[in-house]
Amino acid sequence: MSLIHIQNLNKHFKVLNRREGIGGAFRDLFSGSYRTVKAVDDISFDIEAGEIVGYIGPNGAGKSTTIKMMTGILKPSGGTLQVNGLMPYNNRIKQAQIMGVVFGQRTQLWWDLPVIESFKILREIYKVDQKMFDRHMGMFDELVGLKTLYSQQVRTLSLGQRMLCDIAASFLHNPQVVFLDEPTIGLDISVKAKIRSLIKTLNAERNTTIILTTHDLGDVEALCQRIIIIDKGKILYDGDIKRVTALFGAYRTLKLQIDNYADSTLQSLQEKLTEHFGADNGCTIAQTEEFWTDVTFDQARTPLSDVLGQVMANFRVSDVRIVEISMESVVQQVYDGALR
Amino acid sequence: MHSFLDYIRLYFIIETQYIKARMQYRADFIISSFGMFFSSLATLGIFWIIFNSIPELAGWTFMQLVFIYGFYMIAISPMQILFDHIWQIRFHVQQGTFLKYYFRPLNMMFYYMSEMFDIKGLTQLAAGVAILIYASIQLGIDWTLLRIALLLLTLFSASLVQISITLMAGCAAFWVLDSYPVLGLAWKLREFAPYPMNIFDGAFRFTFTFIIPLGFVAFYPSQLFLQPQDVSPLVYFSPLVGIGLFALTYWVWTLGVNSYTGTGS
Repeated sequence: MSLIHIQNLNKHFKVLNRREGIGGAFRDLFSGSYRTVKAVDDISFDIEAGEIVGYIGPNGAGKSTTIKMMTGILKPSGGTLQVNGLMPYNNRIKQAQIMGVVFGQRTQLWWDLPVIESFKILREIYKVDQKMFDRHMGMFDELVGLKTLYSQQVRTLSLGQRMLCDIAASFLHNPQVVFLDEPTIGLDISVKAKIRSLIKTLNAERNTTIILTTHDLGDVEALCQRIIIIDKGKILYDGDIKRVTALFGAYRTLKLQIDNYADSTLQSLQEKLTEHFGADNGCTIAQTEEFWTDVTFDQARTPLSDVLGQVMANFRVSDVRIVEISMESVVQQVYDGALR
Repeated sequence: MHSFLDYIRLYFIIETQYIKARMQYRADFIISSFGMFFSSLATLGIFWIIFNSIPELAGWTFMQLVFIYGFYMIAISPMQILFDHIWQIRFHVQQGTFLKYYFRPLNMMFYYMSEMFDIKGLTQLAAGVAILIYASIQLGIDWTLLRIALLLLTLFSASLVQISITLMAGCAAFWVLDSYPVLGLAWKLREFAPYPMNIFDGAFRFTFTFIIPLGFVAFYPSQLFLQPQDVSPLVYFSPLVGIGLFALTYWVWTLGVNSYTGTGS
C-alpha cells in the first residue's frame, strides 16, 4: 500500500456573502447567506515511500489546504485521506511522530534557546535514542556545517541558517514523510543550493518521502521526479517532471519598457513579430504592469537574440529585463493544453 | 505516546533551558520581579486605608481580608507562572504561527503553554505564602493535618478556577478577530476576587458565584478556614468547581483548536 493515499478528497469552506459598504457590513451581521468555496475539489493521488513530489500551483490553488489536511490540522469535508494507513485528523499525535513539517519562514525551533538545545528538546519529544541522535547530528554537520551554529540563539540566526536548522530538525526523528512548504523563499542562490542538496541527500540516505510545495520552479527542477500541479482545487497535472520542465525550461519572458508607449504599441509589436517569425511563433504579448510590456517566447523556436533584435530594430526601448517563466504562466499554459 | 511522567520530565527540560535563557537578561528579571512584588502589596494598602476609617467590612476584619488576599495571591500564581503564554495566542492565531503547535506528537495545550514560564510570578507566589502565614498566625488558625490537606486541595481548585477563566477568555481568539478586550476583561475582573462576596449586591454576587465564578478563587474556599463552623453549603463545592470548570475550558480549547484553519501561506 502506498504511504499517502488520497481518493476523491474534498475540502469545502463556508464563506459569508459579504455586501459592500457600511450598510452592507451591518446587514452582514445578521445575514445567513453563505456560499461554499471548494478549496480542494475531488482530488486523488497516491505517493509511494521514498518519492520526492513537487506539489505546486499559484496562490490560493489549494496547496496549503491539502497539506493542512495531510498534517492533521484540517478535517476533510469528504473523500479518503490516509497517511501510513491512518487518517491524520483523527490521529494527530500518532501521525506527528512519523511526520516532519517545515512551514515557510515560521521557525519551529525555540526562539530564545541555542540551536543545540532545540535539537535536544526534540530528541526528548520524539524519543530519539542517543545513537540515532548522534548519527543524525553528525550527518547534519557534514552536510551543512551545523556544528558552527550549535551555540547560537535561534533568534540570532539569519533566515538561511534558520531554514537549514529547521529542515535538519524536521528529519531528526527519522520521519516517514516530510512536508516542506516554501523552503527556499527569500533566500539567496548559494543558500538555496545548500538547502536543495541537504534535502536531496536526506531523501536518498533515509528513503524519506518528501512533499515539497514551492513557487520556485528551480527547486522543483532540482529535486523532484514527479510533479503535481493544482489550481482552483483541482489537479491539472500529475506525472513526470520532464514534460513540465520542457514546458517552462525553454520559455523566457522579455520585459520591455518602450518609449512613447501608446495603445497601438502592443498591436504593432505583435505584427512585427508575426512578420518576422511567422504566425505560429509561440510568442505571447501582454502588459502586466504599467510601463512594462511582456513578451513571452519559446527559446527553442525563437532565440532570445532574434526576438530582442526585432524589438530593438522597430521600437525605442529604454529598459529591458529577462525573467524566467513564473508558476502562474506555467499553470496558464497547462490550462491552454500544453500537456495534452 | 507520552505518559504523564514523560510530560513532567519534558516540561522540566524545556523550562530549565527557558529560565537559563531568560536569566541572561538580569535587569529585566530583577526589575519585573520587584514590580510584581510591589503591585501585589498595593491591594493590601487599599485594605489598610479602608480599615482606617471603618472597623470591619461587611462583617470581615482587616486580618481576615489579609488572609483571603494571601490565599488569592497563591491561587492566581499558577496561572501567572505556567499559563502566561495565553496572552500571545491572538498573535499566533492571527499570524498563522499557531500552526506549528499541531506538528509535534504532544498535547497541544501542554506544548503551547510550555513555551513560556513566567519567573516573576514566583515572587508573587512567595509574597502570597508569606501573607497567608502571617495572617493565619495573627488569626490564631489551628493548622491540623486535615486543615493543611484541605488548604492544599482548595488552593489547587482555586488556581484551576483562575486558570480556567483566563484561558476561556483567551480561547476567544479562535473565533474573534481581536480577542484582547475579552482577555483584558477577564484579567480586570479578577481584581474583584479578593473581596468578600457579601459586599456585592445580588446581581454581582450571582455573577461572581455562578457565571464567572471568581468567588471560588479566594473568598468561598477561605471561609473553610476563617469561620469553619458557619459556612454556606456552597463552600463545600469549591474543591469541585475548579476541576469542573477546567474540564469545560479544555473542551472549549479543543473546539477552538479543531476549528482553526490557519492563514494562507
